[in-house]
Amino acid sequence: MYFAVNGKQVFATTGGKPFDSSKPVVIFLHGSGFDHTVWNLQSRFFAFRDYAVLALDLPGHTNSEGPPLQSIEAMADWLNDVVETVDAQNISLVAHSQGCLIALEYASRYPERLRSVSFIASGLATPVNEFLLNAAENDPEAAIAMMLGWGFGPAGQMHQGPIPGNSMLSAGRKVMRGNAPKSLAADLHACNDYQNGKPAAANVAGSVQVIVAGKDRMAPRQATNELIEHLHGPNVNLIPESGHLVPQEVPDQCRALLKAFIFSNNPTT
Amino acid sequence: MSRFLNFDTLSLHAGQVVDPEFGARATPIYQTTSYVFPDTDTASSIFNLERGGHAYSRITNPTVGVLEQRIAALEGGSAAVCTASGMAATFCAITAILGQGDHIVASTQMYGGNISLMKNTLPRFGITTTFVDPTDTDGFRAAIQDNTKLIYGELIGNPGLDILDLEAIARIGADSQVPVMIDATFNTPYLCRCFDYGANVTVHSVTKWMGGHGTAIGGAVVDGGNFDWGATDKFPTITEPYAPFSGINLWEEFGPSAFATRIRAEAMRDIGPSMSPMNAFLLLQGIETLSLRMDKHLSNTMILLDYLSSHEQVSWVNHPSLPAHSSHELAKKYLPKGAGSIISFGVKGGRAAGKAFIENVELASHLANVGDAKTLVIHPATTTHSRIDADALVAAGITEDMVRLSVGLEDVADIKADFENGFRAAKRISKG
Repeated sequence: MYFAVNGKQVFATTGGKPFDSSKPVVIFLHGSGFDHTVWNLQSRFFAFRDYAVLALDLPGHTNSEGPPLQSIEAMADWLNDVVETVDAQNISLVAHSQGCLIALEYASRYPERLRSVSFIASGLATPVNEFLLNAAENDPEAAIAMMLGWGFGPAGQMHQGPIPGNSMLSAGRKVMRGNAPKSLAADLHACNDYQNGKPAAANVAGSVQVIVAGKDRMAPRQATNELIEHLHGPNVNLIPESGHLVPQEVPDQCRALLKAFIFSNNPTT
Repeated sequence: MSRFLNFDTLSLHAGQVVDPEFGARATPIYQTTSYVFPDTDTASSIFNLERGGHAYSRITNPTVGVLEQRIAALEGGSAAVCTASGMAATFCAITAILGQGDHIVASTQMYGGNISLMKNTLPRFGITTTFVDPTDTDGFRAAIQDNTKLIYGELIGNPGLDILDLEAIARIGADSQVPVMIDATFNTPYLCRCFDYGANVTVHSVTKWMGGHGTAIGGAVVDGGNFDWGATDKFPTITEPYAPFSGINLWEEFGPSAFATRIRAEAMRDIGPSMSPMNAFLLLQGIETLSLRMDKHLSNTMILLDYLSSHEQVSWVNHPSLPAHSSHELAKKYLPKGAGSIISFGVKGGRAAGKAFIENVELASHLANVGDAKTLVIHPATTTHSRIDADALVAAGITEDMVRLSVGLEDVADIKADFENGFRAAKRISKG
């Protein structure tokens, strides 16, 4: 669905059901250069189990009007504006990669409506190497190759995937090609510049889940361990065979972990 | 800098998860109609497109799925759907987005099945086609109407072997918000990846070079994932709620794979032109050696072009690799490895000489197929087009002396020796 936030059009898929803010809400936040489709094997599941779902496109990504936002802090503020616009209550936030930094910042500053936060494949900070930053600005195709090359584990590189006939690697490339020229550099700079992870994590109260990918080459284990250390008693789940792009590479395991955590911490009845 | 796996590696491995139970290295043939669900929640999730998985082999099958992901990988597409034949693929791809009152702009130089589908069959369903000479790029733009929803052509046209100026055609499609669908059977992704030049969908008869051994009929539709279906209201089958799946909006949910998902959700379910698992297995074996075979097809083709061009019994030779061919420059641009392994040539002495040539070759097989590992020949004037008079043959780009040759992988010296027998017979006829 489309709705206006601060005068700009925002898109979110609602998982095939009309958005009903009286229900518990699951909000999905994608990573750098991606969009709502990264969640298509999670969002529809929750929508058809009586949750109100928003799988957002960040500003300047796919269907949401630009320009892209320049900092994680600004993205967290924007997320709060989204929440207020749609009048979401009882929110479970599910975030991947860059989305986790947004979720971290949002949860530390706007905890009132949150019931749970699920961090997938992230650290406390996300420093981005200089080659990738330069490529994002000057050679988006090279930047996409780096991110998809590092982002997908062995299954993704072999064009395997849970949906028969679909290549998650090629589909990811198409999404990133659409977004990279206008937003990838902004995304990566925002990640690289974000320094507030430790105090933000210390502020996050309530139910928190961290899903760790065993073959993640974009969120180093050390950075993920720091996130886990600074959160208060997170529920930690390891998926050994997954690369960084967990929601696409191992959607069934990812969905099962989210289901158990969200059903428990933000039940529909 | 990271990099992706290359073509030959993908030809062998893409899409396959090694069998976790027995470790079978080859892709197993899952010869089953249906699949046991672990619980009702999983079953309902699969039926509601909440998760991947198999329910019934008319719609998906694990062996066919490996082939689909392999073809998608080789083409650089976001998804592929395999079908019972190439014509089934074409029909499914067209009807996924076109219906009553819609219009196609298509090349005149295409496989007869494609022409017949658009000229005779689709009009019965209210879909009309304007045919345009593939060398007349401006003609494609001029033929676009308000109700045009598809531009269709073959990169290497049949039978004239004209090469479509794909980038120019793709620009016309983009300007008109109309997808460009290419029958890529003759080129295969080894010779040209059409999405790199702006095509939006490819269809294949994988029966031909992709499978390459003449053992299995099959087709494939590949979704390029690069068409913005949501930019216009022309394509409601992709962008509007689809009632059979709880009103799913495929464009919103599946983005770059929305078109392929529509075919899966509608054509495979409601019409059911599914590929058999056994055929998928045979076609996978072929694709494992696609680049090796194509290289040999092309090297034999170049040798035979030299041989035929200088042969006293040959009146003309047609192939885009020849400098005199009208598409030679386009062939160099789009098909730098080679412009395929179909040659057409004229046998001196007309219809009777052509017939004599065909009847006196023995190694080359006389049949109506192309892209086999074995060399194939056919004389259209006495077979596929035998009921057509000379004027109509010319209009179809076919002459009475024309032989269509699909160059195989045999030792090329043996092919030439075989052809000498045919040419001697043709010479006797033309003298007699």
